[in-house]
Amino acid sequence: MSRKPAVAPRASIGGGGGGVPGALAISSDDMCPVCKTIRYLNKDMEFLINPECYHPMCSNCVNRLFNDGPNQCPYAGCHQTLRRKGFRSAFFGDLTVEREVDIRRRVAAVFNQVEDDFETLGDYNDYLQQVEDLTFDLVFSGADEGRRRKAEANLQQWEAEHKADIERNKKAGREADETARRRLAAEREAARQRRLEAAREAEEERLERVRSNEEALDQLAKGDGAAKVQLKRRGQQGRPVAAPAPEADGAAEVTGAAGRLSIRGLKEKKRAPESTGPYDPFAGYDFHPDRYKLRDAFASDWLDGFARDPKHSTGGYDVREYYARAMFDAFSGMGVFIGDEKETGSLDMSAREVADFGAGMAAEQSGPVVAPSIRMEVDDVFA
Amino acid sequence: MASEDARYRQSTQYRLWSFSPAQLSSMREKTNALAQSNISERLLSTRALPEFLTPAEELQLLNFYTIDLLRAGNFFNLRTDMRATAAVFLRRFYLTNSIMTYPPTDMLKTCLFFGCKAEGHYPSVGKFAEQFPNTTGEDVLAGEFLLCQGLRFAFDVKHPFRALEGAIMELRRYGNIEDSRISSAHSRAREILKFSPLVTDAYFHYTPSQIMLAALSLADQELAERVVHETFHHPALSDGAAAAPTRENRKGAAAAGERARLVGAEMRDRVLEVVNACREVLAKEPPERMTAYWGTPDSNQITRPLLRKLKKCHDPDRWNLVELQRARREQAALKEDAEDDEGNGARGSLDGDGAVFGDADGRDVKRRKVAKAPEDPFGGPL
Repeated sequence: MSRKPAVAPRASIGGGGGGVPGALAISSDDMCPVCKTIRYLNKDMEFLINPECYHPMCSNCVNRLFNDGPNQCPYAGCHQTLRRKGFRSAFFGDLTVEREVDIRRRVAAVFNQVEDDFETLGDYNDYLQQVEDLTFDLVFSGADEGRRRKAEANLQQWEAEHKADIERNKKAGREADETARRRLAAEREAARQRRLEAAREAEEERLERVRSNEEALDQLAKGDGAAKVQLKRRGQQGRPVAAPAPEADGAAEVTGAAGRLSIRGLKEKKRAPESTGPYDPFAGYDFHPDRYKLRDAFASDWLDGFARDPKHSTGGYDVREYYARAMFDAFSGMGVFIGDEKETGSLDMSAREVADFGAGMAAEQSGPVVAPSIRMEVDDVFA
Repeated sequence: MASEDARYRQSTQYRLWSFSPAQLSSMREKTNALAQSNISERLLSTRALPEFLTPAEELQLLNFYTIDLLRAGNFFNLRTDMRATAAVFLRRFYLTNSIMTYPPTDMLKTCLFFGCKAEGHYPSVGKFAEQFPNTTGEDVLAGEFLLCQGLRFAFDVKHPFRALEGAIMELRRYGNIEDSRISSAHSRAREILKFSPLVTDAYFHYTPSQIMLAALSLADQELAERVVHETFHHPALSDGAAAAPTRENRKGAAAAGERARLVGAEMRDRVLEVVNACREVLAKEPPERMTAYWGTPDSNQITRPLLRKLKKCHDPDRWNLVELQRARREQAALKEDAEDDEGNGARGSLDGDGAVFGDADGRDVKRRKVAKAPEDPFGGPL
């Protein structure tokens, strides 16, 4: 903890052995309980604690007592051996809170499972309860030394047994933290870029305005065709305002590449429903001709006049429309055999009818060309 | 299935108005029988039954009136497609309605007028009617809704005229045919298309493209066959593969087979067969026969007796379309009035309900209950 305490520690922890904080109150806010120096004498007085026993003392005392190596806590009755290295300034004014936070931090570092590691929410809640019980024992079982010991042993045992798991979870947690941190940084950076960009644009616009005003004034001062010139300038003025827009877009893209603009707190988007392709107003009808090819120009003695006639083309008439319609008319329905289809009621005749039909045709014509086709359709039907 | 055919199959011309020859003749017979029974029912009360037209005679008269219609169209300088649409309308109408039921002379005018409208030309009724002798706009309009019903509200008729232009463009594209030959075939085919398919049943049995090819082949058979051959150009499957298609063989040649099915030789032969059949139908009524239907002694000998027969056996109730229309309107108005009266009556005199509208049926019980309730809110007199 590098942060300095906002206020000097108000409470000192009297301690029974083992660093269990007692309820001893400090007599004065600004007096070091060890050397009895008061703030009045030393403006820079700073209180330090050692997490072994959480007894506060001024930095001078720490330097004096522990510079030469480990030493006993100077508090009466506290037999903890403290080292210079272990001292730090407390974050919380209330040192019991400081101690609890430290313990909780330590427990949390060991029991660092997350909800995803559990099968059900109930399991996770049980686990949290267990951890909380253990923490409570560690923190508050001041009178009951046995329970504290036991909890401590449990904690250490768990730590020893699940070292790998803990390490892995820690890493995952660190990574998550890292990504969150990076995202935050990127957002901040993007915002900064946008602000810069906006400022730059505003400045450019302002300069442009000033410049055009000056030019207009110059022109007026010269006095030749003043009105005309002014009108022209006015007309031009509109354009440069519009022009920087694409540039701004480009800048936005650049910042977007650095860190995408994102809104925090949004849930992960649900997967969109399977796309069925673009909407087809013709319900799957194919307008690609099978029997003919549309060309850009067809030779026609009477159509060529229309194709070039401005009286027609001005209204939007395109002679290719006619080509498309004429060609479609010429070839659509060429393979629709109304006699067969209306008799059988189906486009592809049923197998039996096809067979009968084929036999009849074969008998009638004994044509080798028709027979294979019919056999092929029979194959299709039974395929 | 080729996409062109799939699109044609969506048209009302295919779905509602295409029939095999057997279906068509059976429909005509049915229409004729129905009309005979209906008319004899109506005539029984007045006089002895006349001799009715047979389906064949009806068809002959229909052809006669179709040609009348085409002549009228020519006389009024109507566009080709309007004339053709009107003719097809007439033939379609008299497929499900007998000539003995509704007067063909009046329906012909209605068909012409409505054909103009269907093709996007909107003449004024009065001016249109003036062109006919002894005709008012009312006469023309009287049969209009009847016609729409008879057409099953399918007003789009697909004609082979533009198809012919397409085929001619395609022929010109081939490049190795003399221009004069194409032009002469073009004009001859146009002549045929303007007449022959309209006075035969070609529109019922064949698609516009087949009719066009048939007309073209009547004009110049080689050119029509050239178009068909160039269209279905895919080489035929080898006989071995077609005769004994093993599984792998088929799989490998699936795409090619599909292509061959679309534009292969088998399809070509079937198309040629159909075009030839259509050609025979069209050949019965070449454009030169137009004059054969009227004015000549031969035609008079055929049609006069039929017309005389028709005069005797037509439907007495429906022959005057204007009267019929008026009667129907009055009936509809009466019905509306009756409905209004019913509403008032329920509110007015409750006791008279049964007397006015006949015996009250179960349906009215509830309403009467509801209506009667407020009559005596405190029960009967003490």
